[in-house]
Amino acid sequence: MSSLVLALFLAAGSAAYGADREFDRVVKAIENHYGVKRTHVPLMGVANLVVKVARPAGTSGFKLAVFEDLPSPSGSNGRADLDRLMNDVCRGGLHPLIVTHSRPNGESSYILAGEIGKSSELLIATFERHEATVIQVTVNVETLLKMIGTPDDAHRMFRQDRDDDGR
Amino acid sequence: MKVAAILMAAVLMPLGAQEIKLPASLDKLADKAEETVDVTLDGSLLKLAARFLSGEGDEASAKKILSGLQSIVVRSYQFSHEGQYDMADLDEIRAQVKGPQWSRVVGVTSRKDREKVDVYFKVGGNGNLGGIVVLCAEPLELTIVSVVGTLDPTQLADLSGQFGIPQFDFTIGSGDGKKDAK
Repeated sequence: MSSLVLALFLAAGSAAYGADREFDRVVKAIENHYGVKRTHVPLMGVANLVVKVARPAGTSGFKLAVFEDLPSPSGSNGRADLDRLMNDVCRGGLHPLIVTHSRPNGESSYILAGEIGKSSELLIATFERHEATVIQVTVNVETLLKMIGTPDDAHRMFRQDRDDDGR
Repeated sequence: MKVAAILMAAVLMPLGAQEIKLPASLDKLADKAEETVDVTLDGSLLKLAARFLSGEGDEASAKKILSGLQSIVVRSYQFSHEGQYDMADLDEIRAQVKGPQWSRVVGVTSRKDREKVDVYFKVGGNGNLGGIVVLCAEPLELTIVSVVGTLDPTQLADLSGQFGIPQFDFTIGSGDGKKDAK
């Protein structure tokens, strides 16, 4: 069975799209939707000192956008609003592999892949009560394995407070 | 998520095999839920995965499973207290698996307590299955799984516990495909 999971991870990686324009499109969509601008992060090398973003082992090609001071629609309205936003984004060819919502944490995550077979890049958009991050990352097999093996925790691999992963 | 075996899968896929339609009422459950997890692995991803496998040893079995699947969809809802969903919320799904091509399997048990599990098989060709629907209802959690594609009944155990699919002990009748016709 491990080979099945492994294969699915490989496939998910290959399924990711890999074009910067998709990352830019998601960022622009969030900016337009909330009327905010992404926070400037001058050096990606120190990005995880500024924001709570981790780089798990097995990832590369990290690209990050951070949004602060987001208006925070609460409850189901907020979740439905986010779903609509991300569904609109996905009409451009992105495919949602894993979507999670947590009411207690006020957190929603969307792990998106692009055109099948084009690359091993994923887009991970995570929304918290007043901030959001969008990460474009190239993942290897092991990392993909972790993500699909624990879909409810997949996006948390990229949080700095989850220090059991390499950075 | 699949590539090489697309044509083969298309040929093998039983006519009429298609993903069940998840009712809009599930959105209301999502509104009540504390946690929701949606996993959507479509056919292209699954078939592409099959390409990475060698076709030898253990990978041969996995390759066989993947090359026959069109999609895996999992919807999971966790609630803060009991009674936030009703079994009637699943009626629309149950209605879709009442046709002559579908059977509800008896003997499927869960390792968790107070868990009601219904597993429906869609008849495929050549003794294979054409799809599976799993409805798993616990007091605080509801999970809906739809697997579309051609797979051997003996491969079910390989899907259990994977990709957000709940862990089940699939004990299908007496081994002769005994089912409780629905």
